[in-house]
Amino acid sequence: MAENGQLVYLCCVADSEPTIKQVEDSEHNLYSICHNGLYAVVSEVEQQEFGEEGLKKNMADFEWVKTKASMHEKIIEQVMANADVIPFKFGTLFNTDESLKAMLEQYGQEFKAILRKLAHKQEWGLKIYCNPEKLKANLGNSDSEILKIEDEIKSSSVGKSYFLKKKKDELIEKTLTEKINECGQESFELLKELSFEARINKLLPQEVTEREDDMVLNSAFLVDKGEVGDFQSMVDTLKMHYEGKGFFIDCTGPWPPYNFCGLSREKVQNE
Amino acid sequence: MNNVIAKSKDVTLLEILDRVLDKGVVIAGDMVISVADVDLIYLGLKVLLSSVETMERLRGSAFPS
Repeated sequence: MAENGQLVYLCCVADSEPTIKQVEDSEHNLYSICHNGLYAVVSEVEQQEFGEEGLKKNMADFEWVKTKASMHEKIIEQVMANADVIPFKFGTLFNTDESLKAMLEQYGQEFKAILRKLAHKQEWGLKIYCNPEKLKANLGNSDSEILKIEDEIKSSSVGKSYFLKKKKDELIEKTLTEKINECGQESFELLKELSFEARINKLLPQEVTEREDDMVLNSAFLVDKGEVGDFQSMVDTLKMHYEGKGFFIDCTGPWPPYNFCGLSREKVQNE
Repeated sequence: MNNVIAKSKDVTLLEILDRVLDKGVVIAGDMVISVADVDLIYLGLKVLLSSVETMERLRGSAFPS
């Protein structure tokens, strides 16, 4: 029960009573609020820290955001070990337990519908990165059209070879794009086949990923627990096929279903 | 308890932030941090959120598009 000077921070809503252990190094009191068969997992936070003023300051502090976001994730993971959960976005705050209960009352039916959909499923993430130089190096000796132009260049006059080189560069760019699309599309489609739902998220720039290669696919899948084995085998197959050719396939999970718990908000890719 | 949720590999901070700050249900709490896509300012992995439009009282539907 939050007291004066404190706020109620909502992490997730679960379908059964969570066994809450205080998360390691969390200085906040963690508890659950039950209403109509739904369990909201919340932590008590200081108004000073999460209130309007404090938050403005803290959101600009990377270390603070990192710690709190990791805590948010850790708490949800702990709950989802024994229950189906709806994860909330970072920073959903209530003044009192009562106002949170009122929210549960208002959205209870929607939450229950979402939880029914999520039952016995896990979210998995797939990001694909491409190193264009490596991919290009791979193209050179496999693409017959490119090889043909190279031959022509050798036997051409200076003037003609200038234009042929230009043509070759264009062809390489086009082929690169095709290869990247092919890898992304094939991977997404094949994994979607094994999923209940799938979605494509926006690509993150290098400044964010801090990787040398480019992100070419950022996707998420909602997979039935019984299908996870097949899903992982497919990921391995894709890795075998694409890695070493300039691609890097990064699969992570299981995650709380962050990507699959909305209704109108989500653009669901599944037909 | 920690190994109940066996991650397939070490999950980077990027993966966590990409989800926790950007996805998940958005609902009209008493206060909601507005972390819309455009508000995310990334400084290296030092993702920063920032454009401190922070607290915002959301009105209306549970799942704004």
